[in-house]
Amino acid sequence: MTQPSNGAALRLSGISKHYGYIKALDAVDFHVHPGEVVALLGDNGAGKSTLLKVMSGAHEASSGEIAVNGKTVHRYDPRIASELGVEMVYQDLALVDTLDISTNLQLGKEPLLPFPLNLLGLVDFRKMHQITETQLERLGVRTAPAERPVEMLSGGQRQVTAISRAAVRLFERGKGTILMDEPTAALGYEQTQMVQGLIRRMAEDGFAIVLVTHNLPLCFAVSDRIVVLNRGRKVADVPRGEADHSRVVAWITGAERAIA
Amino acid sequence: MSHDAISAGAPSGGATQGAATGQVHLPLDVAILVFLRDRGIFVLWALLLVVFSIWNHPYFATINNAMLILSAASLTAIFAAAVAVGLFSGALDLSLPGVAALSTCVVGVLLKQFGVPVPLALLAGLGVGMLCGLVNGYIVLRGLNPLIVTIGTLSVTSGLAALVVGGYAISGLFELEFMGAARYFGIPSHAYIVALVYFALTVFLTRTRHGIRMRAVGGNAEAVRRAGLSDQRYKILGFVISAMLAALGGIMTMALVFEASPSASPSILFTALTAVFLAGVSLAGGRGSLPRVLIGALVLATISDALTIAGVQPYWATVTTGLLMIGALVFDKSMTEAISARLVQVSTLSVHEKGKK
Repeated sequence: MTQPSNGAALRLSGISKHYGYIKALDAVDFHVHPGEVVALLGDNGAGKSTLLKVMSGAHEASSGEIAVNGKTVHRYDPRIASELGVEMVYQDLALVDTLDISTNLQLGKEPLLPFPLNLLGLVDFRKMHQITETQLERLGVRTAPAERPVEMLSGGQRQVTAISRAAVRLFERGKGTILMDEPTAALGYEQTQMVQGLIRRMAEDGFAIVLVTHNLPLCFAVSDRIVVLNRGRKVADVPRGEADHSRVVAWITGAERAIA
Repeated sequence: MSHDAISAGAPSGGATQGAATGQVHLPLDVAILVFLRDRGIFVLWALLLVVFSIWNHPYFATINNAMLILSAASLTAIFAAAVAVGLFSGALDLSLPGVAALSTCVVGVLLKQFGVPVPLALLAGLGVGMLCGLVNGYIVLRGLNPLIVTIGTLSVTSGLAALVVGGYAISGLFELEFMGAARYFGIPSHAYIVALVYFALTVFLTRTRHGIRMRAVGGNAEAVRRAGLSDQRYKILGFVISAMLAALGGIMTMALVFEASPSASPSILFTALTAVFLAGVSLAGGRGSLPRVLIGALVLATISDALTIAGVQPYWATVTTGLLMIGALVFDKSMTEAISARLVQVSTLSVHEKGKK
C-alpha cells in the first residue's frame, strides 16, 4: 500500500534535508491523492514540519524529487507551489483583522465595478460578497456573514476562514493540495469539530489534504491514511483502518516501525 | 468510509439564526459598543458643539465662527491625513514637516526667482513631495525602522530646504492667495481643498482595490504577500501619498502667510498626530478611518476656538486636547475589550455550520 500509484496530487520521492551536519529528513517518500486526507505524525523534531515546508516550497530539499499532478518540478518555491495548486494553511493564519471575511478571501483578485468605474479600480463589493458566499456555500461553511470583520470572529471561525481561503484559491482550477500545520491548535472542542467537518468536506470535493498534527483524536477522526516520521525517517504509512492509538504512539516514539 | 466526526461536527447552533439566510447578526449590545467605538468621535464633536454653543452664547454658534473653525482645522486636517495614510499602510513618517518645508521652498524659489507659472510651480512642489516619499519608502524597505529613517530624512529635507532658499524665508508670495486666505461663496479656500482631498482619499482607501490592499499591508503584510501581491509596492505608495499630502499642506500654509519658510515646524506634526490618535487610528497600522481623522482635526480646532471666545487662557486648550487624546485612547481600549468580552460569550452561539451535504 505504500507503493505510490499514478495520479497522486503531490508526490515526494527520496526527500532528504540537511541543516549543516543535522539530517532533518532522510530519503522520505510521500504522496497524497485527490480526495485523500493524509495525517503526518511525529514527535517534536521528527521532521514533519520540515517535510511540510518542503511540500509548500518554503524549504528546498537537499536531494529528492517533487511531482505535482504527476509532473516533476525542477524549481519549487511557495509561489510556484501556489501556481501549481499547492496551498499552505499557516498556523499563524495571516488574516487581516480589520478587513472582512470577503475581502480577506478575495485579496489579490477583487472583482471590479463595470466600465468606466473599473478604470478607477473601484471594487464591486456586492459581487465580491456574492462570490465569497458561493464559495463558502460550496465548502459548507456558514460561520458568519461575509461582511463581518475578521477581528470580530472567534478562534474557530478564523481558522475556518483561513482554511477556506486556501480552498477558494484552488477552486478556480477545481483541484489541488492543501497543506495544514496544526489546524486545530488552540481551538476548543466545538471549533475543532467545525474544522474537522470542513476538512472532510474538502476531501469529498476532491482536494488532496496533508495534515500535520499532534492531535491524535483529530488524526483518527479525519484522516484516510497515517504517515509517521521518526528522526527524519518514515516509519509508518498505513490506512487509518490498520492503525490504532497504541500502535501510532509506538511508531511516533520509535518503539516500533511499520516499514523496514 | 464512515466518518463519525462529521455528524458530531454540526453543532446545534442553528436555532440562533435564520436558517434560510444563514446570516448571523451581531447582538444588539455588541452593535452598540461597535457604534460607540467607531462613531464615538462624531458624538463627542456634536456634544462639544452643543456645550460650547450654550456656554459661549451668542458668539460661538455663528456662520462666521464656523468658518474660523474650518479655517483653523484645515491645515491640521491635511497633515493629519498625511500621518493617517502613512499609519494605514503601516509606517509613521516623521519627516513630513521637512518634506513640507522643502516643497514650500522649491515652489517659492520657482515662483520668485525663476518666474515659473503658478500651476507648474505647484506641480513641482507636489513632485518634490512624491520624490521624498519614494526615497523614504525605498530606504525603509531595506529593512530599517521607519521612525529612525524618517527622523534622518526630516533632517535632510529641512537642511535642503534652507539650501534651496539660501537660509532666508522668501516673502511676498501673493500669487497663491487663491488657495490661501481667499474665500469662495463665503467658505475658505482651504476647506474646499480639504473636502476634495478627504473625499478622494476616502474613496481610494475604502472603495478601490489598491487602497484596500494598502490598508491590508498595514494590517498584516504577510497576508498580502501570501495572496501573491507585492506588499512593498503598497508600502512605498503609503509613503508617497503621505509625503505628497505634506507637500500640499506646506504649500497651503505658504499660500496663507505669503511666505516660504525653510524651517520645518514639528508642532504641526504633533497637532496632526493628536487629531489622528483622537480619531482612534492605531499606531500598529491598518486600523482607522479617514472621516474620523477629519472630525479629530475639527474637534481640536473647535476646542481652541471655543476656549478663546470664552476668554480662557489658551494654555487650557493645549491641556484639554492632551487629556482628550489620552481619554480617547482609554475609551477605545475599553470599548474594544468590552466588545471582545461580549463576543467570547456569544461566539459559541454563532459558531455554526451546515450539516453534511
